[in-house]
Amino acid sequence: MNTLMRWIGIAVVIFIAAPLVIVVPMSFSTAASLQFPPPGYSWGYYQQFFSDPSWLRPAWNSIYIATMNTLLTMALVVPATFALVRHKFWGKSFANLMMMMPMAVPHIVMAVGYYSYFGELKLVHSKLGVVLAHTCLSVPITFLVLSANLKGFDLTLERAARSLGATPGQVFRHITLPILKPGLAISALFAFIQSFDETVVAIFISGRDAETLPRKMFDSIREEADPVIAVISTLLFAVVFAGLIVPSLIKGLRRMAGGTPSK
Amino acid sequence: MSAYLRLAGVNKTFGSFTALGHIDLEVEKGEFVTFLGPSGSGKTTTLMVIAGFEQATKGEITVADQSLAHLAPQERNIGIVFQNYALFPHKTAAENVYFPLQMRKVGKKQGIRKAEEMLELVGLAGFAHRLPKELSGGQQQRVALARALVFEPDLLLLDEPLGALDKNLREQMQIEIKRIQKRLGVTTIFVTHDQTEAMSMSDRIVVFSNGAIEQAAAPLDIYHRPATRFVADFIGESNLLEATVTDAASGKAQSPVLGEVTCGAEGLPPLTDDQAVTLLIRPEHLKLSREPKEGRQNAQMVIETIVNYGDNAVVIGHVGDQQIRVRVPGADVVILKEGDSCHFSWTADAVFVLDK
Repeated sequence: MNTLMRWIGIAVVIFIAAPLVIVVPMSFSTAASLQFPPPGYSWGYYQQFFSDPSWLRPAWNSIYIATMNTLLTMALVVPATFALVRHKFWGKSFANLMMMMPMAVPHIVMAVGYYSYFGELKLVHSKLGVVLAHTCLSVPITFLVLSANLKGFDLTLERAARSLGATPGQVFRHITLPILKPGLAISALFAFIQSFDETVVAIFISGRDAETLPRKMFDSIREEADPVIAVISTLLFAVVFAGLIVPSLIKGLRRMAGGTPSK
Repeated sequence: MSAYLRLAGVNKTFGSFTALGHIDLEVEKGEFVTFLGPSGSGKTTTLMVIAGFEQATKGEITVADQSLAHLAPQERNIGIVFQNYALFPHKTAAENVYFPLQMRKVGKKQGIRKAEEMLELVGLAGFAHRLPKELSGGQQQRVALARALVFEPDLLLLDEPLGALDKNLREQMQIEIKRIQKRLGVTTIFVTHDQTEAMSMSDRIVVFSNGAIEQAAAPLDIYHRPATRFVADFIGESNLLEATVTDAASGKAQSPVLGEVTCGAEGLPPLTDDQAVTLLIRPEHLKLSREPKEGRQNAQMVIETIVNYGDNAVVIGHVGDQQIRVRVPGADVVILKEGDSCHFSWTADAVFVLDK
C-alpha cells in the first residue's frame, strides 16, 4: 500500500513537472518553431532574445511595471493591513471585503472594465494604466500574506519596548519592522510576481507602448510559435529556482562558517 | 517613612464593567509586594495602570511624590517582566538587554558591556550572543529580568513571570528573583495567582478580589489573621465554621458543628455578644485521635477521604454536613481508614474569628 502510494506520488510529480522538463530542452533547440524533442542544440534563441528589441522592450516593460506595482501596492497595503488587523472601526468588515474583491472577480471582467474606463481617462496603452490595474489585482494576495503575518505578531513585544523607553516611532523602527521584515519581503514578492505574470488585463490595455512580456509571448505563440518563448520560460524558471535555492544556500554556508547570524 | 509608590482612589471601568473599584495602596521604597488573587480580580489591570498601558478612569498614581498621570509608558522608567517574557526574537540576549540603554542614548560599546554585566548578575554569563529561541524557558526569563533591570528603573513589575516554568525551575527562579531584587534594592510588584509563590517571596501580600483589595499585609499576617472570609479561603487550606458569640469577654462562641468553642488566637478582632461570626481553624492545627484528648477541645467526625502527599496527608471528614480537613504527618495515615469515626481536637489559640 505504502509503495503504491509512493509510485502514485511520483507519477503526479512527473505529470506536473513535465512542462518544465520539455520547455528547457526546447529553448536550446535548432528548430524553427517549438518542437519536442529538438532536432539539435544551440544557444541561438538565447542570442536572439538578448539582441532583439522586440523582445527586450517588453521584458524591460514588465520589470518596470512589476517594480512600480510592488512599490505602490506596498505603500497602500501596509498601512491598510495595520488598520484592519489592529483597530476596530465602523465599516471594517466592508473594507475587508473590498480588499479581497479583486481576487473574486474574474480577470477578464476586470480587464473589460479597465479597457472602457481607462479609455476615458486616456490611460489605455500607458505603463501607468497597467501599473494601476495591476496594483488593484495585487492588493488581495499582498493583504492576505501580510495580515497573516501581522496577526501572528505578539503585541506584548511592542508593550515591552515601550516600557523599556521606546517611543511609538522607535518601537516601529527597532521592533515591529525588523520582525515583520520576512513577511513584508514575501508579500512584496507576491505583488511583483502577480504583476509580472498577469496576462489578461495586459492584453486588453497595455497596447504596443506598454506591452508586457506575457502579452508579447501570447502574441508570439499565436502568430509564429517562436522558440524564444521557451528561452524566456527557462530564464524565468531559473530566476524562481534561484530565488528558492539561494537563501537556504546562504544560510547553510553561514552555518558552516560557524557564526550564528547576530542581526 | 513616606510611601514611594502611592495609588490613591484608582478606579478603572471598561464601559459599564468596573475592573477596579477604588484602589488605595502605598508601597515603601525597596519593598517586594505581591498582588495575589484569582484571574479577573484586578491585579493585572492594576499593574497595567501603573505601567501606563491602561489609563485609570479616576484616581492618582505617584512615584516619589511625582504623578505619573501625564507620562507615556516610555517616560515612566518602569521595568516590566511579562508572562511570556516578550524578548525581541531578532535580537541576541545582549542586544535585548542593551535595548533600554540604546533608547537612553547609551553608546553601543558601553551599553553592550553593561548588558553583559547584567546578564552575568542573573547567571547568564556566556549566553550573551544567543538568540532567544536558542535559550531555555528559564534562561529567557533571566534575560527578561536583566532587560527590565539594566536601566535602573524606579519600579520593577513582574506579571506572572513564572507561570510557564515547571515546578523545580519555578522554585529556583523564585529564589533567584528574590536574591537579585534584594541585591539591587529595587521596589518590586509581583503579580501571581499562586499563593505559595506569594508566601515565599513577598515582604507584603496584597490580596485582590473583584477589583478591590481584600487585605494588604505581611505573608504570615495574611495566613494567620485574614481580614475577610475570602482571604481565609483563598490563602492556604481552611476550616470555616458558622458560629454565634455567646460570651465576648471570655471569647466563647457556640457552633452548631463543634459545640462551645473558645476563641483565643493572637490578634482577634473585637467581639460582641450574639454576633454572628465565622470561625477559622487551619487544618494543621487540628489533631486526630481515637479518644478525646485531655486539655484540648474535642469533637467527633467520620473520615471520608485521605489525600496523601507523602510527607503529610490531609484527612477529610465530616460532622453532619460540615466538611472538616485535618493535616496529619504522613506516618500517622497508616492507622487511619476511610469510614472510621475519630476525634479531632484543637486549642483555643488555633481558633481565629472572622466577621460573618
